[in-house]
Amino acid sequence: MSRIEAKKPSLCTDKPLTKDVVSFSLSVLSGIVKSCYGPTGRLKQLHNGMGGYVRITSQSSALLGGLSVTHPVLNLLTASVKNHISRFSDCGLFTAILCCSLVENFQRINFESSTVTKISRHLLSSCIDYLKSEACGCRLSVDFDSIKTLLSLVRSILASKPACMLNKTEASYISTLILKAFLLTIPHSVETNVVLGKCVIVPVKDKRVMESAVYPGLLIEIPVFQLASIFPVKRVSSSTIKMALFCISLSGDLSNIGDGPVIVHHGISLEVAVLDQLLNLGKQLVNDQVGLVVCQKVIHPSLKQYLKEHRVITIDRVGLSMVEPLSQMTGSQPIAALHSLSPTCYGSLKDLRTENFVSKHFWHLIPNDILVCSLILCNRNEMAWDELKHVCQTAEHVLQLTIKQPLALLGGGCTETHLASYIKHKSSTLSTGILKAIDCSQTQYQLVADAFCRSLECVACCLEHDDGEILTDMVYGHFWSVQSGFPSDCNWSDLVLKCGCGIYNNQRNLNWTVLQRQCIPFIPQSCSNRPSVNATDHLVLDCFTAKCSGLQVAVETANLILDLSYIVEDQN
Amino acid sequence: RMMVACVSLHHHMTGDGAKTFIILLSKLLRGLQEILDKREGSPFCEAIQRRGRYQKHHCLKQISQSLMTFQTHILDQITAEDLRKHFFSAFSSLEGEISRHTMESILEAYFCGRIGNSHQKLLSQLSCDFYYRCVHFKNGRNEMLNLVNDYFVELHFAVPGLPVSNSRILEGLVLHRDFGVYCPADGDIRMLIVTESIHSDLSASDLEFVVNAEVQYQASQVWFTKRTETIMKHLQSNNIKVLLSSVKQQEIVIYYAKISGISVVECLSSEEISLLCKTTGISPFVPTRDNVRCEITETMVAKFCRPIVLGSKRYVHLGLTRTCAFQPHCVIFCGPVHGVTEQHASAFQGAFKMLQQLFKAVDLSDKCAAQPENPNNTSEAVYCSLQYSSQQKLKMENNSCNGEKINNQQLKTFPAETEKHQTYLQKSSNLVMPIVKLKNDFMFSALIDRGHTLRELQKFKYPSEMGIKNKSEPVVNNHRICNDAMTAIENTSTSVVSKHLNTTKDYWNPGNPIIPFKYEKSYNHTIQSYTSSVIQAGSVLPVGGNFEMLLHYYLHSYAKKCLQPKITVVSTVIADALLSIPKILHRTTKKNSFTQVYFKATSALQINNQLHMNQQGLESVYCKYQLVASVLHCVTKLLTIDLIIAIRRLPQKTEDNDSEGDL
Repeated sequence: MSRIEAKKPSLCTDKPLTKDVVSFSLSVLSGIVKSCYGPTGRLKQLHNGMGGYVRITSQSSALLGGLSVTHPVLNLLTASVKNHISRFSDCGLFTAILCCSLVENFQRINFESSTVTKISRHLLSSCIDYLKSEACGCRLSVDFDSIKTLLSLVRSILASKPACMLNKTEASYISTLILKAFLLTIPHSVETNVVLGKCVIVPVKDKRVMESAVYPGLLIEIPVFQLASIFPVKRVSSSTIKMALFCISLSGDLSNIGDGPVIVHHGISLEVAVLDQLLNLGKQLVNDQVGLVVCQKVIHPSLKQYLKEHRVITIDRVGLSMVEPLSQMTGSQPIAALHSLSPTCYGSLKDLRTENFVSKHFWHLIPNDILVCSLILCNRNEMAWDELKHVCQTAEHVLQLTIKQPLALLGGGCTETHLASYIKHKSSTLSTGILKAIDCSQTQYQLVADAFCRSLECVACCLEHDDGEILTDMVYGHFWSVQSGFPSDCNWSDLVLKCGCGIYNNQRNLNWTVLQRQCIPFIPQSCSNRPSVNATDHLVLDCFTAKCSGLQVAVETANLILDLSYIVEDQN
Repeated sequence: RMMVACVSLHHHMTGDGAKTFIILLSKLLRGLQEILDKREGSPFCEAIQRRGRYQKHHCLKQISQSLMTFQTHILDQITAEDLRKHFFSAFSSLEGEISRHTMESILEAYFCGRIGNSHQKLLSQLSCDFYYRCVHFKNGRNEMLNLVNDYFVELHFAVPGLPVSNSRILEGLVLHRDFGVYCPADGDIRMLIVTESIHSDLSASDLEFVVNAEVQYQASQVWFTKRTETIMKHLQSNNIKVLLSSVKQQEIVIYYAKISGISVVECLSSEEISLLCKTTGISPFVPTRDNVRCEITETMVAKFCRPIVLGSKRYVHLGLTRTCAFQPHCVIFCGPVHGVTEQHASAFQGAFKMLQQLFKAVDLSDKCAAQPENPNNTSEAVYCSLQYSSQQKLKMENNSCNGEKINNQQLKTFPAETEKHQTYLQKSSNLVMPIVKLKNDFMFSALIDRGHTLRELQKFKYPSEMGIKNKSEPVVNNHRICNDAMTAIENTSTSVVSKHLNTTKDYWNPGNPIIPFKYEKSYNHTIQSYTSSVIQAGSVLPVGGNFEMLLHYYLHSYAKKCLQPKITVVSTVIADALLSIPKILHRTTKKNSFTQVYFKATSALQINNQLHMNQQGLESVYCKYQLVASVLHCVTKLLTIDLIIAIRRLPQKTEDNDSEGDL
């Protein structure tokens, strides 16, 4: 029996946000996430003092997963960002930064939290309405006829993760590979229920990035000792190989005899009986002209030998994760019986080859209908590989989300500045009816809206880490950055080249100002009326679904944090 | 801890009013403390001339008794007579339909106090939708609400990481599992529930398997496989498309299911299974030798059965066709973090508990029926026989107890108590009710194992208290002993006390004659004039402390009229405590400061007007009524404790103590 300890009273904190500890740790956290943001973001090394695994990263998922946050307020923040990442994989840093700066900015104006909540909710809903409306000036519809937009999307994701250590050619090579792999997983015939295939990432570390490749079908590694005994596969026809997929153990163990006692008479060996069954199974497989037997678990050596004698290739120990893609691409049912197999459960392959890749050897299973592909991913070292693998998964997820909702937002800070100028304009032309409905005054609304816009612009500002100047134009409301060290007397228009997302080049009449400086509200113009939008090559784009949700989550979490007036901690 | 337990019990029942409970409780206790401090002139302490230590305790005792009396009679009476005319009915017509607008305002008022103001509107809309989509016809309302409350865990789903605005209601049910096998099917889908493994193994825990030959082993393996195959084929021929299983099925079952085109969902919780059974009215299927051949009747039909991705996981989404009052729907709560979804879910459930309470009525008709028309009219003979029998039983009980446990300290009180009890019985000879009740008590306690000393003691307690009340002077000695015994019991096992205090009400209710006759008459009169109920189902009042203010007003006026000084004091205290709630509610807004609101209300009441209600939301009167009753209960409970003994070990079960005592 465990000892009963006296219960400690709960710890109660009043007005947690006014405490110095909270505001300090909040500013530390926001400092960390802000410095990671964007293509020029600074990397963070995560390790513990006891030694062990070191990770260099700028990704929010790795970062927040590695940080141990103790204060409940910060816990709330990181938990909501982590939850967001687990849903969308992308825009984690965006959410975290926006949330931090919203909390900071709202705290500064020092209103009653219910007023702030009401107004910021209204602001949020007008943002979301704007982003979802046709008139939205900072979104593009993704054109599936050309791969340009999709490629830009993938490239932006890769570019924003500097810890992958990719140069420009490598980055564009990998983005092409990722896109190619993704396109392979889309089924040819589209029915009502589209089930996407799977992209299996095969790790090859310590190799140049440019040696990465995509193979249609699956790659299964061959153990070295089996290499000697490779023989051509038995085919039903020139382009069909019959295969059987087993999801039970074929090792001859007596697993399914139940949990009661089994009495075996002297001289009777159950092992022999099972082996007999296995060999019978082998006979049936041979009779059914099966050319390849794949087993999730172990195959008994005798059965292997028997099948080999009859020129049937066996692959065992493929693991549970491979079973689903295997059955998906070959159409075979995972078999769970040792006898009386139904002929319908066999699948078919187009071809079976061996591939050599550096020092590794793989079976290459090529299906008729390609739904599954293997991406061999190389990077120089373990840390960079981990980062790259993560990016590939993020990119795949983003592409899947984009297929569901074929929209993309302008990246490179342009969406944030555009949205901020839209909100500024909107809040300056607010009708009194709305104010009455929210129950606040014009000045209150204006102040909260300003704080909101400042937070949005703050996210954009985080893209610049090298003391450069950040500008915004008064026509489109886009993001322009100027490198530091410019002479003070020159004109802005001589310095800027391209806006953050790359959609606009330097034009004469754009009327720049420094971001976050007070200026007259204007209606930001839309970019989508430009015919050449999709033709532009190197756009920076963000995932629409992920960013919209990130925006909402950030505002909701900030409201939640501001609403805290007590923290009760159980100390037991 | 006991207070917290009381609050959570109340909250669990009504889903509302936990905060009000605490405020009210603390105010009441403070009010009572003041009375004790004053002491002189207080009607509770006049008659007592004893040594200091017991005096205070006795005061508390008296107070708690008056509180009990108050709760059972005066509260009901006031609600019935005075408050009733202020209630609105939530039902828009006589058929008991409830309009959407009213529903919304009730729910909005409810969520107002439960969650942050940014999501109130959304959640009240959501729950309102849920209500109207689930309830199909009005007669099934209570059934539906009960079902929703019982199976709320299965009927909601939390998805963290999405904005709150993504919360929605889905048609059909979502099972908290993924498909073991998914075979898409169209049209009406027949489904089957199994609770056992379909494939049986060679041996089971209570069956042993003897292997005589290798061939035999192989043959039996084949036979079992064939059997599983036959069952699955049988299911297929019965056009069953989905198999819902509460246990994990073996791989071979999955394999044959896939071949036969049957989807399988495994490892469903027993709650989910029982929810499915309840909504569809079917029972699980057990494959046996006999029914493998015949047609399967216990199936349910779904409009669809498909995978649904919520968050990052895949679940099973069933579109069941309705067979009972509950139209299956489920709620999906989204929020940035788990805590938010959890809070919303519990608020949502609370709302439905509150609705459940809303449609209840406080029914006095039962009590009326139990009460004989008039004690005086009952024939003497009947009374005598009753008395006789009860005394006999009493004696019998005593004998048995005494004989068994002479050494038991607690039992020393028995003789004294019984004596007193008997005198009481003789004294209150013109009252039939207590005796009837007593008889019941003893019948009941005779049924209980004799070893349960504590229980019996408790049983004795109440009648003895009645006796004291009935006599003009308390019997000091007996009472002291009684109290000592009681506190001893209470300290050793609070669990038992709480259990029994719950039954206190039952014993007190029939004890109507305790009230002076005048009141009883008026009380009876009240009952006759409102034969149906004190609070009708669906009664509502606007929010903002209106209930409390009304009750306060009427309690005050009652206290002025009241002739019993004890009751007067108690009612005043309660009335003042009640007022603290509107005080707090109107604390912040400057326009409606408390004094103004209060003044308006009282002046309106003085000229017998309806209150001017400007608030939007409505709240259930039943909940409020229940709240006041619960608080009074809690106070009574607290006051009967005079000493708290901290113990190292957990309080032992009474059964253990008794068995030791028996040996």
